[in-house]
Amino acid sequence: MKMNLLGNGAIAMGAIAAGVKFAAGYPGTPSTEILETLKSSEYSKNIHIEWSANEKAAVEAGAGAAYSGMRTLVTMKQVGLNVASDPVMCLAYIGIKGGMVIAVADDPGPISSQTEQDTRSFGAYAHLTVLDPSSPEEAYKMTKYAFELSEKIGRPVILRPTTKVCHASATVDVSDEIHDYTPEGFVKDPKWVIFPPLSYKRHIENFKMYNSIASEKCKYNNVETVPDTDKGIVTGGVTTAIVTDVLESLGVKVNRLTIGRPYPFPVSETEIFAETAKDILVLEELEPFIEENLQRLIKTPLKGKYSEHVPAAGELKYENIESIICGFLGLQTPETPSAKLNVTLPTRAPVLCAGCPHRASFYAVKLASKGKKAVYCGDIGCYTLGNAKPLETTDTCLCMGGGITVAQGIKTSNPDTDVFAFTGDSTFFASGMTGVANAVYNKHNITICILDNRTTAMTGGQPHPGTGVTITGEETVHIDIAKVLTALDVGFVKECNPFDLENAVKTVTEAALYNGVSAIVFKAPCIAVSKKPCTYEVSDCIGCKRCINELGCPAISLSSGKAVIDPVMCYGCGICETVCKPGKIHKIGGVRS
Amino acid sequence: MNILICGVGGQGTILASKILAESAVIDGSDVARTGETIGMSQRGGSVVSHVRTEKTSSPYIPKGQADLIIAFEKCEAARCLPFLKPSGKAVVSMSEIKPVAVSLGVMAYDSKAMEDYIKSAAESIFLDTDTLAAPFMDGKCTNTLLLGAAFGMGFINISENAIKKAMEKLIKPRFLDVNIKAFEAGIKAVSG
Ligand code: SF4
Ligand code: SF4
Repeated sequence: MKMNLLGNGAIAMGAIAAGVKFAAGYPGTPSTEILETLKSSEYSKNIHIEWSANEKAAVEAGAGAAYSGMRTLVTMKQVGLNVASDPVMCLAYIGIKGGMVIAVADDPGPISSQTEQDTRSFGAYAHLTVLDPSSPEEAYKMTKYAFELSEKIGRPVILRPTTKVCHASATVDVSDEIHDYTPEGFVKDPKWVIFPPLSYKRHIENFKMYNSIASEKCKYNNVETVPDTDKGIVTGGVTTAIVTDVLESLGVKVNRLTIGRPYPFPVSETEIFAETAKDILVLEELEPFIEENLQRLIKTPLKGKYSEHVPAAGELKYENIESIICGFLGLQTPETPSAKLNVTLPTRAPVLCAGCPHRASFYAVKLASKGKKAVYCGDIGCYTLGNAKPLETTDTCLCMGGGITVAQGIKTSNPDTDVFAFTGDSTFFASGMTGVANAVYNKHNITICILDNRTTAMTGGQPHPGTGVTITGEETVHIDIAKVLTALDVGFVKECNPFDLENAVKTVTEAALYNGVSAIVFKAPCIAVSKKPCTYEVSDCIGCKRCINELGCPAISLSSGKAVIDPVMCYGCGICETVCKPGKIHKIGGVRS
Repeated sequence: MNILICGVGGQGTILASKILAESAVIDGSDVARTGETIGMSQRGGSVVSHVRTEKTSSPYIPKGQADLIIAFEKCEAARCLPFLKPSGKAVVSMSEIKPVAVSLGVMAYDSKAMEDYIKSAAESIFLDTDTLAAPFMDGKCTNTLLLGAAFGMGFINISENAIKKAMEKLIKPRFLDVNIKAFEAGIKAVSG
């Protein structure tokens, strides 16, 4: 059946065809839609699907299922692999029984990530096969193949799509056949227990096995030789697809080596390619992974990132690739006539939504710390956007859950400063709780602000352990954050509604004065999981711009010097009404509970 | 065809791109591709969807090769014009969504200059979508309305039947009717 699928959807459909029975992951752009597609499919009832508390939990739970013979899919974004790296590294030694595919989405650019790390390098480091699809169609086929390969070699396989495969759609031929099998169940065996002598043995086995796979041909590596030229281009991932379009439009043919299985790096395909190709350009995003491996196998100096023919970082777009290829082939880069921008356009950076409760929480903390020395340690989520003007309440952001712990070091080295750590509810469960234990245990005098908006907002609104529902919509326990904080012996724990500004400021002031670890749970839902109660409008604005300068709500703009509220965008949070000292902002319709 | 759909995160550009890809396939295209902006930019940043209905390997439209731009916001239309072919068309919403930095006075939003630039570079039509789309779920059907306008102008070589079938497939039944009406209102807005 022909289906238009996002790359992520194609991976989900590939996993279904392969007979996946256990699927777990933690949301992260650009990987999130894999599990979401799985959940919405008609086959979902035969699969255990879960949003795990974090990526490490997902891999470990997945390992248990795969030990028992279930075909298992685990999904995450590249930085999630850092969180899961402990079980993944060990699993490369222990191995699995049921095929296990770890789908890790990389993000060249980066577009929505903290780093531009390259999972191909991680695969080589861990000794795990890496498959790198160039399109949604290929992602579909590769996913099925990844399960088969994993089962055959008894090791997990990493599938590494990048953003431009995950979030591109194509018409994919999806088969109705589903691999049918009965998992054997867990069979006790000393091989499931990692011990130094076993690890030593496995290290040798792995080295030999991947070395021999490197020499086996793989249908996802491709060589095309053109006898009348010695020019050759090597590519992987989406760059392969773009290079095909570029060469077609230039009307030229060169020798090509396409790497769909970057680790173990293909030896025989490289040999065939190098017989004809003597002047070689390597085009790839992220790390010079292909380049380094190719240079290990062939003597000719390559043109790539080290020779500065290809940029070290960022995405490779059509225009970049075209000009690099033209330079390489000694051709004039074609001039495509197109409109030249002749107006100065304002940039449009992402912002907290109109009505976002985080705006109110940040504003309350800002008011409470006015005139005092204060540092605001942020974290990963929509609330990282608290860094922008006019709120400017995010001074640091490092990694998931890092805000709470970074705050502790800052407080120690700046004892005269009030230090606030901001963490979202999903981030708190993913990797914030350990930081709280550290703060309590080591007596760090900080204030933790949990922005509890009842969803994992940045990735599009996934449930988490604090929401009371699972990915499939089934009801479950709702873990109470304030109770967790109290159980961790945080001395001051209070919940408050950030939209009740006066009370919120009072609570923050108390918390900051508390000597020891204090915590405030700001409770108000994300606009994506709540109903719009009403809208607000401005009448007889005196043009003081206080609402704009204090809040930066995107629904409020200036027209002829007066504030106006866009009625469609306004989400009726009412915070601007509180901020408008002259009292010119009013509610229209509805009731705000 | 190469179609670029642009706007501000949250405006519903992705549904429009899905409808176009789906309807192209219904009309017999072998492969339709789209390239979406999903992630941080969806929080009010600039978003672009590329749609290609003929056989290519990559979903991304090179600069100067789009046949049509469908813009949900004026400034975003101007930003994407370098993607348009010299003879290209543009269906542009008159809607102005000023970035927060503009309200704060850090940057300027020169509406007139943007409009002149768009008119100089494309065969363009401007629509007051704030008013036109208001009757359809408070403006939430701006996407299907703009599709209707582009179709009504004859800028999309996909059949009306295929577009409606694609909408049936992609839109939840309870929102289908109002979206079909918005699509038809789009056609009507540009006829005569
Ligand atoms: S999606 Fe929710 S949490 Fe994110 S900025 Fe918008 S309202 Fe805030
Ligand atoms: S009530 Fe005011 S601050 Fe809240 S969303 Fe509407 S305009 Fe923005």
